[in-house]
Amino acid sequence: MTKRRKITASRVGLYLAVIVTSVFVAFPIYIIFLLALVPTKYTIYSARPPLIPPTISFVELQAAISSPGFAGAVSLSLEVAFMVGGLALAIGIPTAYGLSRLGSRLAYGLTTVLFVVNMMPSITIAIPLTVPFIKYGLYGSPISIALAQELLALPITTFLLVGAFQSLPREIEQQARVDGANRATAIYRILVPLIAPAIVASFLLAWMLSWDESTFALILGNLNPPTLPVLIFLSVTGRGNPTLAVAFSLIATIPVVILTVLLQKYLRGEDLASGIRG
Amino acid sequence: MTAQLELDHVSKHFGDRVIAEDVSLAVDPGEFFVILGPSGEGKSTFLRMIAGIETVDSGEIRIAGTDVTELPPNKRRIAMVFQNYALYPNMSVYKNIAFPLKMQFFSRDEIEPKVRDAARTLGITEILDRRPNQISGGQQQRVALARAIVRSPSLFLLDEPLSNLDARVRFSARAELKKIQRDLGQTFIYVTHDQKEAESLSDRTGVLHLGRFEQIGPFHDIYETPTSHWVGDFVGDFPMNFLPEPSGPNEIGFRTEWIDIGSGPYSAVVEVAERQGDLVSLLCRAPGGQRVFLTTLQMPTIGETIHFGLRQSLRFDAKGQRIEGGTTGALPAH
Ligand SMILES: Nc1ncnc2c1ncn2[C@@H]1O[C@H](COP(=O)(O)OP(=O)(O)OP(=O)(O)O)[C@@H](O)[C@H]1O
Ligand SMILES: [Mg+2]
Repeated sequence: MTKRRKITASRVGLYLAVIVTSVFVAFPIYIIFLLALVPTKYTIYSARPPLIPPTISFVELQAAISSPGFAGAVSLSLEVAFMVGGLALAIGIPTAYGLSRLGSRLAYGLTTVLFVVNMMPSITIAIPLTVPFIKYGLYGSPISIALAQELLALPITTFLLVGAFQSLPREIEQQARVDGANRATAIYRILVPLIAPAIVASFLLAWMLSWDESTFALILGNLNPPTLPVLIFLSVTGRGNPTLAVAFSLIATIPVVILTVLLQKYLRGEDLASGIRG
Repeated sequence: MTAQLELDHVSKHFGDRVIAEDVSLAVDPGEFFVILGPSGEGKSTFLRMIAGIETVDSGEIRIAGTDVTELPPNKRRIAMVFQNYALYPNMSVYKNIAFPLKMQFFSRDEIEPKVRDAARTLGITEILDRRPNQISGGQQQRVALARAIVRSPSLFLLDEPLSNLDARVRFSARAELKKIQRDLGQTFIYVTHDQKEAESLSDRTGVLHLGRFEQIGPFHDIYETPTSHWVGDFVGDFPMNFLPEPSGPNEIGFRTEWIDIGSGPYSAVVEVAERQGDLVSLLCRAPGGQRVFLTTLQMPTIGETIHFGLRQSLRFDAKGQRIEGGTTGALPAH
């Protein structure tokens, strides 16, 4: 009897924790929606903004979309994000393969070292990076932003991919070699399809990381146009139009939400586990 | 005739773990050669060295006369069946079998009949569209074998391909494998810890122990005249029985079937008795404390003393090596 009550009590505690966490995470997003979709007189120009919106309007969103810098910012952001995602795979797959063949201790040690860059504040890396970028004529180009953001994306994608490669039985690759495949063929025809979920996940993570990133984009880009996060940043500071910034933010959230849903589907990894006996 | 596979003074160590210690071996074309050894002895590593998946420390490996020691696996023209079959999980059975042909740049039209042929040989035509996780263990083993025979390699390497099958299927799978090898007329190197497989499949068996072939020869010879105490002990449903000679450091070894129960110079006390089919297997203890395995028709009582004589026995020296010419008839009583 007491045992059952205890379980119920801990259940309630668990649900409570889930609710508190959800509210904590979801509330800022709700505020973004509120600011973007509710006329400003109820929000930023009101002393006590209501939590439940009295009306909804798309005026701010339309203004944001048709504002002069917007289209350029979105297209630059997209360009950079796809570059970061693509590079993350182009560099990450061979790197992760190599690391995964070193034995798990060494692989994890080296992957951890890669994360050191992630732990440093972006600004301390961005400023010194300007020097070589100017020297090689990259400064201000989309590539310079992408290369810098890659520093953040690559450790994560590599880490994910190392784990994926290590989860495959070694015999699969060895069998491919015996069956006549050279190393590259074995990797790209046999191993890569088997870790497709991890590869998709890596790409999406790198893509999102770039889509959200502002420090490198601010310091290494030529701001004409800026990336979307930089545009948001600029519109809350200097020239200042906070509602516009919020509308931009809402728009910026859309691909992230879509990709997160996709990511969850892939991270479940049903395909990955099926049919490998090891 | 050049040997199909030659190991020439091959050595291999993992740290201080010995896998091969100056091993030389020649396997003839068309031979079914079984590498027999206990678990963890390095059998798989041996096969992987031949395949080129594992490097050798020193020595040379030749396939059909060509030195392949430095060649990667894809240049060695070998087929291999791994212990866990290593089917490509994301490909259909058909594509699994076709893969080695694709790697040789055969066209789609050339591949199809070859795949169907191999599938027919192994009776897996019905499952060509399935994925590896949708077929049984026995079928997976057939697919792995089909993938090996679909092209014409110069050497087949098989790593305990039957060990994942249950006992009933294993018997027929063994017979079938032997037939396939005969029909192909190809050289098979087959690794196992199961002496039943060595006995029924091999032309010659090599017994692997501490990085050396302790004995190489037809299985029957190994069984009847093991070169060492260790081989006698390892090979056989029952380990060979060993008793010290009345004087001196040597010992005699004898198979359970060489024992005549009833009267004779030897005796042992029954410790364990177990009925197996028509026979009763007995584990007995000789006066000196040595194990003796016996078989009888009648269930004895535990603790009973059994007297026996020997039709035949072998002699081994203090180091456990068989003494040549030591095969004797009935021993003088003592
Ligand atoms: N890459 C390696 N590095 C270090 N030790 C290894 C390596 N590969 C295998 N070993 C060791 O070498 C020994 C032999 O392994 P191997 O798999 O060849 O034995 P086996 O006879 O095939 O065993 P089993 O009957 O269990 O399949 C084992 O002790 C194993 O731990
Ligand atoms: Mg093995």
